Amino acid sequence: MKITVSDVVLLAHSACGVVGILAAAGVFVDTLNARAENARRIRTLAIVTAVCMTVTWIVGGYWYVHFYPMDRALILHGPWPFAHTVFMETKEHLFFTTLILSWYLPMAAADSLSTNAAARKMVLCVAMLIVLSGLAIEGSGAIINHGVKVALLDVRAKTGR
Amino acid sequence: MKPEDTGEGLRSAPFAVAGAVTILFSTALAWTKDAHPSLLHAMDAVAGHNWITHGLADVVVFLGLGLILSRGGWAHRMAPNRVIAFLVAAAAFSAAGLFAWYAVF
Repeated sequence: MKITVSDVVLLAHSACGVVGILAAAGVFVDTLNARAENARRIRTLAIVTAVCMTVTWIVGGYWYVHFYPMDRALILHGPWPFAHTVFMETKEHLFFTTLILSWYLPMAAADSLSTNAAARKMVLCVAMLIVLSGLAIEGSGAIINHGVKVALLDVRAKTGR
Repeated sequence: MKPEDTGEGLRSAPFAVAGAVTILFSTALAWTKDAHPSLLHAMDAVAGHNWITHGLADVVVFLGLGLILSRGGWAHRMAPNRVIAFLVAAAAFSAAGLFAWYAVF
């Protein structure tokens, strides 16, 4: 078994993203039934969302800058070039939207959600946008991963190695 | 038990508006650097990679604009539903706009 630094960094990136999405989903569910009793949990989950997305940004950015160029070259010469030209390009820029929303979420959750309908609506919308954009980004990651896989299979089919 | 409503506004409105503007700025910057390689190379030179420069620019716009709007009070006067609609529309426009741009061009 051989696990490289690239593997660890890449998996840490996607794992932090998933935890951030789950935390945002938790904020959404708790806010549907916002009370004084669960206000602290909502704020904690909102902070967890922001922290996880920030770690995802830093770790993913490190992998993207240091390790992705080789994968990109493979994808662009393989049967699925759109895995980079459409999905990676969209993913790497859409992530900034998710990041900004995740930084805003703790600010929105700091309002008194149990007594303020507008604040509840804002938190519900922002949490839902983080979940939806996060899932779209995770799905794009799977397509990019498959783009590398089919490129390697194509090389193997052509060269016999 | 249904939650109450005291009819308060959004205390975080300045950063919601700043977030929406940052999301639109980020989308426009992605399009522009893709269309103009000279800008892409200039952004590569600033922080070592255009994506890093892009992210740092977004952070500066979000925090800077949020702090400026917090002092002005203008964002607090916006109707909460308008602030929410602006942020949701910006995020939806960003997602659709980025995907369409890279799928078409």
